[in-house]
Amino acid sequence: MKMKKLLALMLAAVMALSLAACGDSGSKESAAPSQSGGSPSSEAPSQGGGEGGEILIGCLQDITGPTSALGMSVQAGAQAAVDEINANGGIDGKTVVMKTYDTKGDVTEAVNAYITAVTVDKVKLIVGPPVANIANAIKETSESYDVPVMGFALDPACQMREDGSVYKNMFCFQPSATTQGQIMAAFALKNGMKTFGVIYNQENAYSVSLLAPFTDELAKSGITIDNSLVVAYGAADTDYKTLLQPLVSANVDGIYCPNYTQQLVAIATAAKELGYQGKLICGLDAAPSFNTTYGGDCSNVYYINNINTEDATTAEMAAAVEDKVSAVNKYFLGYDVVMIAKQCLEEAGLEDNAALVSAIENVKDFKGLTGTLTIDPATHMPDGMGMFMYTYENQTPVMLEEFAG
Amino acid sequence: MSLQILINGLATGSIYALIATGFALIFNVLKFSNFSHGATMTAAAFTAFFLVSQKGMGLVPTLLAAGAAGACIALFGEFVGFRRILKNHSSATYFFVSSITLGTLYEGLVTIRVGSNFFNFPSFFETPTLDLGIIISTSDAIMFLISIAALLILGYIIQKTRLGRALRAVSFDRDTAQLMGIDSTRIIQLTFVISGVLAGFAGVFLGIKYTLYPTLGSLVVKGFIASVIGGLGSLPGAIIGAFLLGVVETGLLSVLGSGYSTIATFAIMLVFLLLRPQGIAGSNVQEKA
Repeated sequence: MKMKKLLALMLAAVMALSLAACGDSGSKESAAPSQSGGSPSSEAPSQGGGEGGEILIGCLQDITGPTSALGMSVQAGAQAAVDEINANGGIDGKTVVMKTYDTKGDVTEAVNAYITAVTVDKVKLIVGPPVANIANAIKETSESYDVPVMGFALDPACQMREDGSVYKNMFCFQPSATTQGQIMAAFALKNGMKTFGVIYNQENAYSVSLLAPFTDELAKSGITIDNSLVVAYGAADTDYKTLLQPLVSANVDGIYCPNYTQQLVAIATAAKELGYQGKLICGLDAAPSFNTTYGGDCSNVYYINNINTEDATTAEMAAAVEDKVSAVNKYFLGYDVVMIAKQCLEEAGLEDNAALVSAIENVKDFKGLTGTLTIDPATHMPDGMGMFMYTYENQTPVMLEEFAG
Repeated sequence: MSLQILINGLATGSIYALIATGFALIFNVLKFSNFSHGATMTAAAFTAFFLVSQKGMGLVPTLLAAGAAGACIALFGEFVGFRRILKNHSSATYFFVSSITLGTLYEGLVTIRVGSNFFNFPSFFETPTLDLGIIISTSDAIMFLISIAALLILGYIIQKTRLGRALRAVSFDRDTAQLMGIDSTRIIQLTFVISGVLAGFAGVFLGIKYTLYPTLGSLVVKGFIASVIGGLGSLPGAIIGAFLLGVVETGLLSVLGSGYSTIATFAIMLVFLLLRPQGIAGSNVQEKA
């Protein structure tokens, strides 16, 4: 009997220790150093901002969670740029160290990770996520600090308030939702589509932000979409077949789907199973790895992309990394933004964060892998940056046309 | 309601029926709600995905693998999570805690393996739709038929075989059944195996419909609701409840759209239970936890 009690006590003690350990590992995980494959920059210093000849930058990404394919691709691209910078002597002779913080696709985790990065680790700047919900969550908190967030959230609300003023630290380095929605609408019109349906996630800032620019652009050509053909869904919805039914019954030329990859896969599957013969016009998240995840013929899927794989340099780099990352376009965005950060840090120096923010605001004609980029200080987003429309031949991406921003 | 929506509802309902039946089986025998059932579905579906379907094998091998994986996981759960509690006649709360713990463990293990990512089963059918005057998705039709076949086989086993009679005897009174020479431990193991097989099938079907992700098992709540509507512990009730839930849910989604349909579905279920708390079957087994 005594033995059993002793055993029970020991088990309880082990459980308590395990729980304590779990809590500890969770906090470490949210601020885990990047896996840089043996790079000297893989271990972050306890204090950032230049101690020991190092410049610490943060990388706030969805490393786990439903959009982890995007976050991990941005991280890989950013790390490649960091490694390249360090191989070429660093910035002002200092080694760049990148520390990755996992948002886990959760806004609370993201805010906590952001605060850890700027207050505990004192990072110089943050490579932000390509996910609007996360950027929306940290934008207010970011006002209390002087650390720029160089992200990719294309919803203008992540960078600007309703009164038109900008959040001082929030930046986006890809064309805005307005530009992307307009380009997708222009492409659809140019290709003879006249009737449309929409299926979008009403709980997701990215999805919502892409809706009005598309419908407004169509309206300029006298095309309106009946309300019954604009279908909203939420996180709890899984029955896309029923949601798509009115759009398929109306036999529209195109269904506009500004959604994340997981939903796009389910929507494309449901549309196919309903016998839909028209086109699916999708945002960035229909770019590879959508095709491999979906697994079937994606020839009716049209999507917008940041990169031009017809360009020899881009194609060569894409071929070199496509086995390592899920979303090649996000890899290039990550790479470009760190190179822009390098340029800005060299311009502004390492001591003055206000000067760094000013340098980022005034980036002009930066020639990156995703195009030539000029930041508009009034919006903190790119000005006049073009994009590319693609489709698939079965599962192979095919670039169709470049559209000016 | 259009015929197309009704078909969608029946297809969804047939998957809910698999979940609800697996759920109701355990409830029937052990008189507790096994909340690890959802995570068992997920783990079994992922096992089949990585071991079978990702290697290019078809739907039948995938289902067999998922059924086998579900049976093994459920059997492991019975041994680790419930047997000692059962033998010690411990408080009912322990069943509840143990099932929640097992579910969290399975989900955690899946998350460690796949990293919260989502996966899509390869297309199992050359023709995605069947044109029978109205368009019917091939996968929906096949899932519906397989679900119905599985439930009919289960019904036959329970009603017409010695094993089924033993299972019913154990569910009625475990101690008396033991005194009558029935090895109740073996019968409970068998119940978990059947429940696990159904969980494996349901996991694959949910994965085909909604993509495969670590928290897919949260859809077990639909099976739970269906089995409550049907009358907890009643297998025919669970099946009727599941089809009813599928059709009501799909109809409301079609009429009210997203958001309101979820609220309306749960409101209707609450009103139903207010009017008929014993469920459709009219018999309600007292729950342990």
